[in-house]
Amino acid sequence: MTARGIGLVARQEIRTRLRTGRWKVLLAAWFLGVNGLGLLFRLALEAGENSPRDEPGVPMFGGVLLGVLVLMLLVTPALSGQSVNGDRERGTLATLQVTRLTPAEITLGKLAAAWGTSLVALLLTLPSLLLPVAEGAIGPGRALVVLVVTALLVGVVCAVSQAWSALLARSVTSILMSYVTMFALLVGTPLLFMLAIPITAEEHGPEEGGDVVYTEEHTERIWWLLSPNPVVVLADAAPRLPETEIVIGDRVMRRSPSSDPLGELSRSVRDIREGDGTYENGRNDGPAVWPWGLAFDLALAAGATALTAARLRTPLRQVPRGVRVA
Amino acid sequence: MAADGDLGIEARGVTRRFGPVEALRGLDISVPYGQVTALVGANGAGKTTLLLILATLLAPDSGTVRIAGHDTLTRPAQARDALGWMPDTFGVYDQLTVDEYLVFFADAYGLPKQERAGRVRALLSLVHLEDHLGRPVHALSRGQKQRLGMARALVHRPRVLLLDEPASGLDPRSRIELRDLLRSLAADGVAVLVSSHILSELEEIADRVVLVDRGRTAGDHAMAELAGASARVAWRIRSLEPERLATALAGLLDGRPSMRATALPGGTEVGPLTEAEAAGLLAELVRADVPVTGLAPAGSALESAYLAMTETRR
Repeated sequence: MTARGIGLVARQEIRTRLRTGRWKVLLAAWFLGVNGLGLLFRLALEAGENSPRDEPGVPMFGGVLLGVLVLMLLVTPALSGQSVNGDRERGTLATLQVTRLTPAEITLGKLAAAWGTSLVALLLTLPSLLLPVAEGAIGPGRALVVLVVTALLVGVVCAVSQAWSALLARSVTSILMSYVTMFALLVGTPLLFMLAIPITAEEHGPEEGGDVVYTEEHTERIWWLLSPNPVVVLADAAPRLPETEIVIGDRVMRRSPSSDPLGELSRSVRDIREGDGTYENGRNDGPAVWPWGLAFDLALAAGATALTAARLRTPLRQVPRGVRVA
Repeated sequence: MAADGDLGIEARGVTRRFGPVEALRGLDISVPYGQVTALVGANGAGKTTLLLILATLLAPDSGTVRIAGHDTLTRPAQARDALGWMPDTFGVYDQLTVDEYLVFFADAYGLPKQERAGRVRALLSLVHLEDHLGRPVHALSRGQKQRLGMARALVHRPRVLLLDEPASGLDPRSRIELRDLLRSLAADGVAVLVSSHILSELEEIADRVVLVDRGRTAGDHAMAELAGASARVAWRIRSLEPERLATALAGLLDGRPSMRATALPGGTEVGPLTEAEAAGLLAELVRADVPVTGLAPAGSALESAYLAMTETRR
């Protein structure tokens, strides 16, 4: 495996994609759509009843970022969901496999091309993401961290979609399965978590002399179900905003800035991990959830990439059903 | 060169099954350097499966396959270096230009950068596409795409060349050019294996013929041996009075069960006969006062061998 081989496949992939023509229109529509929504969101925030303390930049950043993440996750399967079986259908894969390019080079080259294309889409969302940074509401460090995490999560989706395209013969099925995987990560994880809450809850009492029965939830046993969720990973990985000081009379109170969707989400999942059942807006943060989630997602991507490379290895011993060798 | 002498391709006892279907059941084939070998067989006889195995894409269930002396299972990379392959149907990257397409494959085969441009120009003139330099691939006709595929297969100067139905979709001129190209490659020492259904054409291209039937080698002949004066083929006889010819033939062929006479619109086909036997038959027909206007070989020796092989199957 060489960088030259990976680069060759990636360049070829991007070149053939770019020349299909519709790209400029698609990217322009994406640019206008995402930034238009971001702007509307901003206008809505400014029109809303916010206390003068709150800068609209904070909720705008969080809201737009989560929106961009979900939109990116929706777009990405379409970008890489047919990278292998599409080539098979067009009859261009076998001629590639008989060259000196190795399965790993073909896999990583195609992955790099799909990921690179998604990153271009991410770049186009920057105007509305960076507006709050330019206003000073969000520090550049926070913006950088969340962008890197978003890029990584999009890469995970690329790798998983690619693996589906290598596993399944028809591109329609593989794109569908990529969306199902996305849906499982975004919606399936909170659903599983909700279902697991009553299952893991313990019933206490009645204590002697009383008839009070209460159930104690043990979210600390099942918090990990939420951790692979891309929204959770992104929100929890975002560095906390500095607390604001409020002076009332001679007392100084410190509180986290309100209407910060990322921070609120992060505090709730950390509370869930602590799991004392109280959900209080605790001063002390619990241990972070995102390292586990991100590690899980990256492991998923690594496994998917290895699987893709294995499926591209020739000579083929088993020919999967419906797959044309050449 | 390879340790096993002069064989570009050597396959022994190759079997391959797809689920319940036995595609190959112990096929042997050897393709020497410097010759064009034709692979002939009915649809479903296993030709394409064999070519996929030889092209290092498919693993045989059992048996050994060596390309230029390299086992395709244990050393596929070395085998690929020596191997040029053109499948029966293949896609091209429609968005690229003709030269970008070939430069990409030159790169993929690891040709040094300074060599690529020259190699691509040489290939384009070899397949007569030099006028299409810089034009997009999707503007090519089917035959031109086929020739581009041929150039792609040759990009790394392989010593072994596998072609699956290369003549399909080619116009008559391109076929003649393909024939000349394959002959010149063989003259340069390349081992060429061609599968085709167009038997009359293979006769002009190939030095040897390997007949494949139901996954096994059914025959391995030198073309000279098949097509020489001693080869038996069908002959077409035309007469002014077809009824008289039919009666005379019926009498002459009586007691020779291996001979058949079939009345066809273009004349009556009799055979198989060697050239000497055909001359004798003509003499007898003339002696019987049949007004014969024409006697010519119908079909080719290769076709006869092929028909004889597929006949035993019924």
